[in-house]
Amino acid sequence: MLTINELKASIDDAQILKGLNLTIKPGEVHAIMGPNGSGKSTLASVLAGREDYEVDGGSVDFDGVDLLDMDATERARAGLFLAFQYPVEIPGVSNINFMRAAVNGKREHEGKEPIKGKDFLDMVKEKAKLVELDGRLRNRSVNEGFSGGEKKRNEIFQMAMLEPKLAILDETDSGLDIDALRIVSEGVNAMRSPDRSFLVITHYQRLLDYIVPDFVHVLVDGRIVHSGGKELALELEEKGYDWIKEDVTA
Amino acid sequence: MRDTAKPQVMDRPKKSVKLAASQQQGEAYLAAVEAVLGSARNDYDATLAALPVPHRRVERWKYTPVAPWWTDVASTGVCTAAAAGCEPCPVPGLDAYRLVFVNGCFDAASSDLPVHPGVTCMPVSQASHEQPVDNDQPEHTEWFAAVNGKFGREGLYLRVAKGVILDRPILVHHHSSGAGVANVLRHDIAIEANAKATVIQWSSASADANGSVNALTRVAVGENAQFALDKVQDEEGQIRHVAFEDIRQSRGSRADVHTVTVRGQWVRNDLIFRINGEGAHAELNGTFLPLDGEFVDNHTTVDHRVAHCTSSENYKGILYGKSTGVFNGKVFVRPDAQQTNAYQQNANILASDQASMNAKPELEIYADDVKCSHGCTIGQFDEEALFYARSRGIGMEAAKAMLVHAFIGEVLQGLAVPEVRMEVEHRLAEKHHWETFNDEPGA
Repeated sequence: MLTINELKASIDDAQILKGLNLTIKPGEVHAIMGPNGSGKSTLASVLAGREDYEVDGGSVDFDGVDLLDMDATERARAGLFLAFQYPVEIPGVSNINFMRAAVNGKREHEGKEPIKGKDFLDMVKEKAKLVELDGRLRNRSVNEGFSGGEKKRNEIFQMAMLEPKLAILDETDSGLDIDALRIVSEGVNAMRSPDRSFLVITHYQRLLDYIVPDFVHVLVDGRIVHSGGKELALELEEKGYDWIKEDVTA
Repeated sequence: MRDTAKPQVMDRPKKSVKLAASQQQGEAYLAAVEAVLGSARNDYDATLAALPVPHRRVERWKYTPVAPWWTDVASTGVCTAAAAGCEPCPVPGLDAYRLVFVNGCFDAASSDLPVHPGVTCMPVSQASHEQPVDNDQPEHTEWFAAVNGKFGREGLYLRVAKGVILDRPILVHHHSSGAGVANVLRHDIAIEANAKATVIQWSSASADANGSVNALTRVAVGENAQFALDKVQDEEGQIRHVAFEDIRQSRGSRADVHTVTVRGQWVRNDLIFRINGEGAHAELNGTFLPLDGEFVDNHTTVDHRVAHCTSSENYKGILYGKSTGVFNGKVFVRPDAQQTNAYQQNANILASDQASMNAKPELEIYADDVKCSHGCTIGQFDEEALFYARSRGIGMEAAKAMLVHAFIGEVLQGLAVPEVRMEVEHRLAEKHHWETFNDEPGA
């Protein structure tokens, strides 16, 4: 699904990713943990195609195609989804029209006709149930005036609408109370399938109680320095990151 | 409807700065126009001689280059829509009365005048026996308006009698066609007490047109009357367009003016509301999206002369390529105009690093118990919002169109006639190569 090889990336001449390797197979859930500033969000941004970042080396293969060769729109249409750490408010653009444009963009890529109004509304209804997204929020401007939890639920709703091959969740747990965390996680779990992969980026182990990963990786200073199963997350929660950092420097 | 308020400090005549070179060019221009149109009103000669021809050292013209006006005026051009090859009605499906003016001439065959009890509507050239529209003329303060006074012989005359509600809007369609044309139009409108009318003013020009449009609209809105003007400028070719709207409001009246500049090489809109009666509301909104080489200038004035009135203003511009925009929003609140509530908003997006915008809110408040708010911004497209949309699979251009729609949507929504709004959206989409402007759910 995703093969990252020796990826190097920088922003404003500061090197953040320093040769990152990661392979995700279809159906797998990988978690990336790491201390602040280790490059977790940079990885998400570079994969999604944010142009502020400069890719200095390495390659990323996404389901047989060169991901780095595509712009952000093409990556999304090819099946990559990024759930934002800070979802953006777009005043004046209704959530529902925003999603219709997104769904139709994907359909255009697949050579399909734009979705019919009724089919679209049925789809919205069905997917909104997954994350208990209020009808009121669907018609409001994108994320405008949404609470932190509502914004994150809206991200998962969008993911469900777009049915990506690979979903990257960038600190989706930040700013969530326990109820919202449960709803968001249940939405994600409902979407797990043998041909859909997840990359869950988080600072805390808490989210991984709900979204149980197959693999956990530790990112330190732009490289993955340690990988293991889900039990690694518990170990990190207990011991912090310092022992790994010491391991690396040692 | 004479102004009743005592003259204030802002009424003091501005020091008139004449520039010898500009005066000469102005005179040459007048001679050239006169050679083609002939002169109807020599009584404006003294006014024209007294007024300074606009130039950059006059504050009101600081950002507005008048040099393009000093080109030759060659001909009057054709006089009918048929000869000009233009659709009499530019708005498909519009159910409206219609007056068509081609190169400044009234085209009776293309027009459809209202036959409605209590409504007097005719070309202004045939209205000499009608009651004049009682309105102080702006022709005595602005040189270009005085040019209109001298040469303006054709336009709309409309009087809607007390309590009459016009059943359909009146479309006034200006069209310019051919080389070196000089369109001079004056529209006189009186909406009497408790009456209601909507006017659409649509300016078009063919691709081969070059020349000028000088349109002056005077409106007297009576007590508790309602008047709405949807003004659309969509001119191809090389047209210089200067427009004046002078709107007087009586007690309890409401006047709405929406100005949308779709296309225009050089456009200057001068809009003034004089609120003379308590309880009146003025609404003025506008939007402009110039492309490379286009120039759009909106100068607005809201003059609160009496107490207990409200005004709301919202102008939004998006400037592309090497285009230039100007916004100047004056709001006067006179000493007697207590309890005024005036709102002004002007927001602009520079869509290119070569576009420029000159924006200036000017609030002069002489009363102490009023609520006046204003905001003025010049910024760029929200990069975060663009990336967010693209990360959902929306293309860059579609994402921008979405932000544009969100930005100017509230102005377009205010247009009085829905068919006009839809046509404007369509033409904006066509101009900017957006796939669609339609944002209605289920479409």
